[in-house]
Amino acid sequence: MEQLIEDVTRGNVTEVKVVIATVVMGLAVYQLLLAAVGYGWLRPRFLSSAPALWTHRASGDTIALLTIAVATMCVGYYGFDFGDDGGTHAIVAVGLLGVLAAKVLVVRVGGRLSRLLPLLGVSLLALIAVTWLTSAGGFLGIA
Amino acid sequence: MERPSQGAQLLGSLLAALAIAAVAIALVTAHFGPTSSAERELQEERIEQREEALEERRELREEQLEQGR
Repeated sequence: MEQLIEDVTRGNVTEVKVVIATVVMGLAVYQLLLAAVGYGWLRPRFLSSAPALWTHRASGDTIALLTIAVATMCVGYYGFDFGDDGGTHAIVAVGLLGVLAAKVLVVRVGGRLSRLLPLLGVSLLALIAVTWLTSAGGFLGIA
Repeated sequence: MERPSQGAQLLGSLLAALAIAAVAIALVTAHFGPTSSAERELQEERIEQREEALEERRELREEQLEQGR
């Protein structure tokens, strides 16, 4: 697994991971805006609810795939580190994957559970932000 | 101002997502620089090897000088 990840990234595992994680972070913020338009909390003149929600789903699928890719690279290459250095990052990242799985499940099941979507979405954004800050943010000199 | 058609709104919002991804990639790549870490490590390795070879040659020369005395 380690060799495969190194081959795919041509030896730039950390750099590729930071790039993908930053794309996820940017799209996650955009998701919040799209959801706000979709639910009618924001009403810009140039975008209505239906296209905003459609793009929200498409972008969400992309975020889910990229997050799984980063998590696979992280665990496959660096392993689990619950020690001092990567403790916060690992714990928050596990929480992020759990909330992501819960959100996908709620979207699929629908019904009354759909009321949880805004809460799950905001939690997901917060977890993505903390996971990014505790890893990619450090490499970029932000955190 | 009239609202654009649904198709145009959809296309615009998708293009905005693509633009966000592109800007994120550009910013992070600019931060890391154009040289990959693998290439950088290779360059550092080559420099180290060159320095070691120079050091060995210097030592050999010093030994030869001492023997000549």
